[in-house]
Amino acid sequence: MSNALRNPHGSRLAALILLSIPVALYILVFLTPLASVVSLSLDNSALGTGFATLRAATEDGDADRRAQALLTDLGAMEQKQLGETARMLNQEKTGFRSLILKTGKEADTIAPTMDGLVSFDKRWADQEYWGIIDRNIGQITWRHYQKATGLKVDANGDLTISKGDDIYLRVMGRTLLITLQVTILTLLIGYPLAYGVTNGTRRVSGTILAIVLLSFWTSVLVRTTAWVVLLQTNGLINTLLVGLKLTSEPVQLIFNRFGTLVAMTHVLLPFAILPMMNVMRTIPKSQSDASRSLGAGPIETFLRVYFPQSLRGVLVGGGTVFILALGFYVTPALTGGPNDQMLAYFIADFVNKTLNWGMASALSVMLLSTVVLLVAAARIGQWMMSNRKGIA
Amino acid sequence: MSRVIYWGSVCFCTGFMILPLVLVWPLAFNTSSFLTYPMEGFTLDWFRKVLTEPTWTNALLNSTKVAIGSMIFAVLIGGLAAIGVMLTRRGTQMVLSVLFVSPIVVPTVVLGVAFAYAFGRVGIGGGYIALMLAHSILGAPLVFLSVITSLRGLDPNLDLAGASMGASRIYRFATITLPLAAPGFAAGALFAFITSFDEVVMALFLADPGSTTLPIALFAGLRDRLEPSIVVVALLLSLMSLVVLVLINRLQKRGTKTVL
Repeated sequence: MSNALRNPHGSRLAALILLSIPVALYILVFLTPLASVVSLSLDNSALGTGFATLRAATEDGDADRRAQALLTDLGAMEQKQLGETARMLNQEKTGFRSLILKTGKEADTIAPTMDGLVSFDKRWADQEYWGIIDRNIGQITWRHYQKATGLKVDANGDLTISKGDDIYLRVMGRTLLITLQVTILTLLIGYPLAYGVTNGTRRVSGTILAIVLLSFWTSVLVRTTAWVVLLQTNGLINTLLVGLKLTSEPVQLIFNRFGTLVAMTHVLLPFAILPMMNVMRTIPKSQSDASRSLGAGPIETFLRVYFPQSLRGVLVGGGTVFILALGFYVTPALTGGPNDQMLAYFIADFVNKTLNWGMASALSVMLLSTVVLLVAAARIGQWMMSNRKGIA
Repeated sequence: MSRVIYWGSVCFCTGFMILPLVLVWPLAFNTSSFLTYPMEGFTLDWFRKVLTEPTWTNALLNSTKVAIGSMIFAVLIGGLAAIGVMLTRRGTQMVLSVLFVSPIVVPTVVLGVAFAYAFGRVGIGGGYIALMLAHSILGAPLVFLSVITSLRGLDPNLDLAGASMGASRIYRFATITLPLAAPGFAAGALFAFITSFDEVVMALFLADPGSTTLPIALFAGLRDRLEPSIVVVALLLSLMSLVVLVLINRLQKRGTKTVL
């Protein structure tokens, strides 16, 4: 069918008509929302709209005109907007809140010159405050990204990381660490299973495959539920441990890193096994037989003949698990403690608890771009590998 | 020695995969409300409780509605996309395939933020429509992949035979291609249905109190209080997955049989 449909004239028009609907829907319902997240992470309308006069005045650079414009803008703000502005600027430098609120309240009475401002509050003589204002009144802002990375522009315009501001950097580090640990665990546990499916007897192979598929099709939430039930303080595993007198009292198995790693490994295992299986199926059995007949033992045969050829599957399986694990939310949320939560948890938290869309979208953009980069790198790697094979 | 390593690791890893599920399911029938062994007795009370309590039944109903709606959307989008892509040239096929498959790669949390914000802006903030649209974007790539695989597997000679006997393109498509690709569509539809039925992250962002789905109710229950009704719901959900798995398996077997 494919050939017949592909070449005749006129199919171009049919394709165009057929594709227009899904492409339009994808743009409208998928790409536009994603793009809106990117723009949301840079959006500064909350601060930018209030300082229109000052923005215009800043281009001249005259100090008195800037002072006047600042007073005009602050004076025009309503109480709520003034408070919000003060709160956001205070995130850049503590003490800014009181300065803005005080200045805003008296905006009508202060002489509209730089000297007037300085005599009202001498902090206005400090260029650091003006620098912060300059950086934060544009239509777009890097504020959310700065907060997400802990990077700050200091008075000299250099990037610095301030101590204590690197919360999300540490969350990202933790996310990568957990992801890496889970990837290694899934590969270690998945490899024997993939090997069993492809090299075991018919019965072994069938049983394992059925279990893998059943696990694959059981939802993430259900499998996480099983682990929550098993690992709880009075749960099965603790009953068993105490019953066997291995411990005198229940061990904390859940709401910590152990619980998170175990549950995530279980949930992601099928994604490691299926790619490894596909690669192992292509390894000819005759090669292992040849190696054995030439006198190599089973372990040497495995290590020198079988394993190197299965590495491609390990890479694909590990890559899949790594990419999926990066964005995990449900499993760590249910089996981890406060120090085991990954980036996705904080994204959800910003939306659900504080309605801080700016931070939620900045973290989302960082997560998404990491994933997209990894996927692209994996594709290029695969392509290069298949090309090299073609030449050889 | 190598036998020992082989069997030891295979048994351990198989146990790790299946035991958590196998050990937990019987607790749905336990008389005691503590989720642990030894079981005190057999009862179906927890099932009765789940099937009569409005929290669970409403959630089940909502999930079914959303899953059916998003399945229909996903089949339309993914099916049209697959047929359309098959009609284009090779280069275009690659670009379009990347586009149509791409939602799979995006972390669901990111999609949740994107949909919650964008849908909110156009006034379909929370509820059925938002959930259906969001889930259909998640299901469309699965339908697309399923349909395009079955289309690629079709024997081109069947279509050529129809053409040589004077059948028009549309007639051939409706009477030859579509029926032969039907298992691909059906499998894709099941993929989309179960994906929506099990989805929790996006639903957490998009559902309002009136459209709480079963996974959300389960998630909330897990954070709130562990009781046997939670295991019952989990058991019902996995039975559902099992049924879908068997159906898809059948469809895919039928699909390959017709090709051969």
